[in-house]
Parts: sequence; structure tokens; C-alpha cells
Amino acid sequence: MERSDPKEQMLVIPCSGMGKVQGLISREAALHVADTLMPGAADTVCLALLVTGDAATRAKVQTHPCVTVDGCPKLCAKKNVELSGGNVALGVRVYDTLKRHRGAAFGSPTTLSEEGWAAADEIAAEIVCAASQLSREREQES
Amino acid sequence: MAEPTKVGIIACSGEEIPAGTISRQATRRVLELLRPQSTVTLCLPLFLAGEEQERRFARQHPTITVDGCDKLCAKRGTEQYSGQVAASLVVTDILGSRVEKCHRSTRAFDKADEEAVWAVAERIAAEVDTLASRASEPAATTSSGGASCGCACGGKSAEGSLRVNGETVTVPALPLIFDHVHKQGVQSGDACQDQLLDMVRIYHAIDPCEEQLYREAVAKAYTEYCQRRPQGVAEIE
Repeated sequence: MERSDPKEQMLVIPCSGMGKVQGLISREAALHVADTLMPGAADTVCLALLVTGDAATRAKVQTHPCVTVDGCPKLCAKKNVELSGGNVALGVRVYDTLKRHRGAAFGSPTTLSEEGWAAADEIAAEIVCAASQLSREREQES
Repeated sequence: MAEPTKVGIIACSGEEIPAGTISRQATRRVLELLRPQSTVTLCLPLFLAGEEQERRFARQHPTITVDGCDKLCAKRGTEQYSGQVAASLVVTDILGSRVEKCHRSTRAFDKADEEAVWAVAERIAAEVDTLASRASEPAATTSSGGASCGCACGGKSAEGSLRVNGETVTVPALPLIFDHVHKQGVQSGDACQDQLLDMVRIYHAIDPCEEQLYREAVAKAYTEYCQRRPQGVAEIE
């Protein structure tokens, strides 16, 4: 597999789990990174398209650094990217972040509360921070 | 009296495009507001990742797929692993050019997104009603062991109930879970409690503070199920 260029676009891939608020948080965090915090430097791909074997999407995850964002311990996003031969540079677990906010009401799988949006933003900021660190490390290596 | 068969709704939830977000939000709206008693959903990535329980569940329920675009990931994935779907809806077909005004993050949702979600949700609900009425018609269904007919005919209701803290709780797919675990040779008793709870949790939200109550309730129900075997096929009330 070819090595990812540090200046290449990063892919942020959430699980978007349907049944839990964590799934929506993963999705909104990933979209916040791609659309607002790192526009042009990050994007996402459809996990369902990847898992159904779309060749172009598989090639994309194999040639770009990927950040997966999973809502539950089944880690569907991370596992599926790895199964597709993708390079998971960072695997984010939403539930780890939520543990830091015990007692908070994050909303539902349909709508995030104010605390839910704050959690999504916190995860998005962590992704940006980790992406910057990763980029610096790779630049030093190259 | 037998409860009506639940209809499974599987959304693609495609992250790249606004129509994927509409598929997800419309599906949630049907589950929560329009047809909460007659619908369930499955997590597509989990389903496609090889969770046999999810695939089996889809085999035994009439299933509607809701795809954002004509790549039809939800439909193709479901048919690959669980047989033909009962209905396939595509957001871009329903909305036409209206989808161009939609956003892929719900953070940016406005009137156009809300109207799009309602339009797609109402189409899904109409399909649910059609399937439900079809399922209630007299049909040539298998009289026993019908839980594995392998099509979307709406045969046997795959629901069970648990007594949790003195209350009866309906759990989707409980008979199928017990069938599956029993076929794996799992004996009733304390050792299987966590395995059963993890499987029940896939289909039924469990409040963390009620986890132990559910653990005990599902273990008790499984013990009763094992005692009834082989006479009954997952006849959980």
C-alpha cells in the first residue's frame, strides 16, 4: 500500500449508528471537521458505500489517512475501514468522551441537545488536534 | 392475540451527501413519531459487518430500505445478506431537485431540510402501512418454524416480552435471539447472562441503571424457553 502524503486530504469516517445518540454525535463531529474546521483538508466517505465494496471508495481509504469515529464498542467504522485495507491513523471512540461528562443528557439519535452538540464539538476539536500532531510527525519523518 | 409484525427500516445514512442525512432523519421520524409501534431499525454498518443476528432479523421481517442515492447501498447490502427487500425508497427520487437545498449536517438544518424529512418520512410510513395491511391478509405462511421463511412476507412476529422489575417489557427479536443462542448450544444459567444481554441490547435500549434487572430477566426467560424446548419454536409471549 502506498504511503499517505501528509498534505493529503484526511478522511473522517463516522459510524453514524442509527440506534444511539452516540451514533449521531459521531456523525456530527465528523461533518464538523470536514465542513467547518478543516474544509478542503478533510472530507468524509459513505461508510455504507465502503462496506458494500465500492472500488473507488476502497481506493480512497487505502490512499488517504483515515480517522474513524465510533459510537459504540462494536467499532463498525474502524473495523470496516481496516477490512477495506484502509489506514486508520486515529480511531476515536465517542463513548470515551461521553464518560467525561457523566450525568449529561446528550439528546437522542435524532436530535442533539446543547450538551450533545458540545460533545460533538469536543470530539471534532480532538480530531483536529490529533490531525495536526500527525501531520507534524509525518513532516518530520519525511 | 398475536401482535402485528414489525417492519424493519434500514437507512443508508450516507455521510457524503445531504440525501444520506435525510434518509437517516426520515427513518428516525417514522420510528419515533409516525409509526413507533410497527417499525424497528437496524444499524447498516453493523448489519453489513457480519452480525448474524441483525441479518437474521432482516430475513424475518418485511424490510424497507431508504437510500440517499441511486447507488442503493442499503438495498444492495440487505439483499446480499438477507434476501429481497419488501420496498426500496430512494431519497433523490422522492425529492427531485428539492434535495439540492438540503444540508448534510443537522446543525445547518432549515425549512427545506425539515420539509424534505417530512416528505420522505411520509413515504416510508405509507410503505409501512401497505406492508402491514399485506401482512394482515390471510396468506400461505408456514405454520411452524415460520421464523425462517426467508422472505419479506411478514410471517411470524419476532417479538418477546420480559418481566423487568414487575413490568412487562416488549423486546424485538427476543425469540430469534433465543433460537440462535440455543442452536449454539448455550445452556441456561448464570454463565450466559452477559451474552444474552449483549444481544438483547442490539434491539432494545437498556438504561445502564437497569442493566442488572434486565440481565436477570433475560436469563430467567431463556431458562423458561429452554425448558419448553423442543415442543415450541421460540414461543415467547
